[in-house]
Amino acid sequence: MIDLSATQVAASQVARPPAPAPAGRWRKLARTLLRGERPYMLYVAFAILLVVFSLASPWFLSVDNFLNIGRQTTLVSIIAIGMTFVIIARQIDLSVASTLALSGMAAALAMAHIDNNWVVGAIAGLGTGALVGLLNGILTTQLAIPSFLVTLGTLSVARGLAMMITNTKPVIITNETYFAVFGEGSLFGVPAPIAWTLAAVIVGILLLHYNVFGRRIYAVGGNPTAALYSGIRVRRVTTLAFVLTGLLAGLAALVLSARSHAARPDVVQGMELDVIASVILGGCSLFGGRGFILGTLLGSLIIGTLNNGLVLLGVSSPMQLVIKGAIIVAAVAFTKR
Amino acid sequence: MTLNSRHRLLLSAIVTAASAVLIAAPATAQVPASCVKGVDLSTLGPASIIGQGPNGEKAASPDVLALSEAEAAKIKAGNFKVGISMQTVNLDWAQLQIQGITDTLKKYGVTVTGVASAEYQVDKQIADIENTIQQRPHGIISIPVDFTATAPTYKKVSKAGIKLVLMDSIPTGLKHPEEYAAMVSADNLGNGQIAAQVLASCVPQGATIGLVNFGVDYFSTNERTKGVRAWMGKNRPDIKLKQVDFTDPPKVSQIAGDFLTGNPDIKGLYAVWDQPALDTLSSMRAQGINIPMTTVDLGLQSAIEIAKGGPLKATGSQRPYDQGVAEAMVMMNALLGKPTPAWIGVQSLPVVQSNVLESYKTVFKKDPPAELLDACNKAKPACN
Repeated sequence: MIDLSATQVAASQVARPPAPAPAGRWRKLARTLLRGERPYMLYVAFAILLVVFSLASPWFLSVDNFLNIGRQTTLVSIIAIGMTFVIIARQIDLSVASTLALSGMAAALAMAHIDNNWVVGAIAGLGTGALVGLLNGILTTQLAIPSFLVTLGTLSVARGLAMMITNTKPVIITNETYFAVFGEGSLFGVPAPIAWTLAAVIVGILLLHYNVFGRRIYAVGGNPTAALYSGIRVRRVTTLAFVLTGLLAGLAALVLSARSHAARPDVVQGMELDVIASVILGGCSLFGGRGFILGTLLGSLIIGTLNNGLVLLGVSSPMQLVIKGAIIVAAVAFTKR
Repeated sequence: MTLNSRHRLLLSAIVTAASAVLIAAPATAQVPASCVKGVDLSTLGPASIIGQGPNGEKAASPDVLALSEAEAAKIKAGNFKVGISMQTVNLDWAQLQIQGITDTLKKYGVTVTGVASAEYQVDKQIADIENTIQQRPHGIISIPVDFTATAPTYKKVSKAGIKLVLMDSIPTGLKHPEEYAAMVSADNLGNGQIAAQVLASCVPQGATIGLVNFGVDYFSTNERTKGVRAWMGKNRPDIKLKQVDFTDPPKVSQIAGDFLTGNPDIKGLYAVWDQPALDTLSSMRAQGINIPMTTVDLGLQSAIEIAKGGPLKATGSQRPYDQGVAEAMVMMNALLGKPTPAWIGVQSLPVVQSNVLESYKTVFKKDPPAELLDACNKAKPACN
């Protein structure tokens, strides 16, 4: 039944990013990057972490170690870019880690069966990811099932399929070009996984902050009813957010399988929590309508820096978990001020 | 200034295209030429089982489990049913164990009611065992995910009149033979010794080596690292050992990478089983580090890495199929009411580049697949 009161909703209530100012390009870029309610404190929190670990460990403050952190956060960062769109659109995607596993298997199997061709493998991996995203989007929007439940289901289905395809056996990859492009090569000294992350960040910024699609995502997350009456195709926009997340999970699968020289069906179980934590830590609201790409990247870098720094300090594994959890909660509380 | 759609498309295309032409080889150091060369395969690893059971039991050989014709006929006539509860089925090791058990039981006419996989979760394994008990099998063969939390559930097995055979570990407080018929495991101490012996041949005097160890208190993995430490202490006291523990296997790549960054003096690595070794290897590749590494367990991917002659030099392999056979045999002994030994140990197997193909056949009971043959052919004559 249509809620007639919704027609009274003014267009001004639709959440929008700030309109572009006629100021210089750098001021506009800065405002774009610092979008959100708590960006400054986020940078401060990150800076504090860097200073503390630099003072505590002689191995922390080096280019090699920062490249380490960059490589280690690659998978979470790439997928978190997509998750930012989904969460801003007032949805959640729990299936990303399983999608990654299934996409990796698809890429490796495609290469194994089609002339060991790395392009075919990449297309198969990205396509599989996008397909799972499309399924999530369709089930969520067309059947009006909460995305939490839909993606909880597809988490299980995708993981099960990944295991069934080869009866849980890993698929070995032997294509050297594939390794170089997605895992072990570098572009102007930047390791391939980090270069792909930067590419995903740039595309994410363009889509979310410089594109009508981004504005529609904010509108849908801010007030879906108002967005609908403003002429926005809410279902399509929401579905596209899921497709983008699936596609990026596919890209993460290519990076991981290229680094491992194999695709395994049991990889990165539970990683969806790290992804969601990065997005929320980065300033996204779980209630939708708010968030920004650079914040998400910072969120994943904060978690990655914590993981890295605690190992460098020789902190025991159980204690790492305690410290990491406490610092994440403290960081969120701190940056909310 | 705002970006119009053409600019946006152009920028996206440039980013994507630039990212798609990433081709470069990471720089690598060289592993010492002495690596593995000083090791004689005939004397590599222990000649017999050197480890002890969890309660200090002496190892019994699988040979004591043979059945006479009359006993085999009794088993075939008994219409026995056996359930299996695994910690996971996503490892070559687990699949070979299951295959060894099912092939052997089938030969004697024993039905396998099902294989449950706990995916390393205690609560799921508790449910799996309880559900298996409901199927009223005559026996259950299982590997505990955790030997404390699952103990009360395992005690229910014998209370239900069902025979229990364990793999690799004994839940706390279970008594032999009242509550379990036997525990079967590899000689993990021996496997650790193999890993240590090869690694020692690859590092200079006074070198530091890193141990990538499982930080959860678990009998079989504890024994491996104990084996490495014991051998080094006795035969190469000049070598300094540093250790990093992981509790969450998916995090090994990150933890091992950071461990190497924080300890640049490390000249060799040991990883507690093959998957952590492969994850460590992926971090090493990313950082351009090439130092020798050894491990325990053999899977297809680790076999390929050994065949290539890359950083992974050797493994002390278990014989999971043979362990599965031993588990099935001891279960049938128990079903007949025969006395069964508390611990049955299965001999370790050293695997290096020169015997990797033969070892693969020994462990997997089948010919090496094309990927392994291809990797080995590219590394001739060192690989056989």
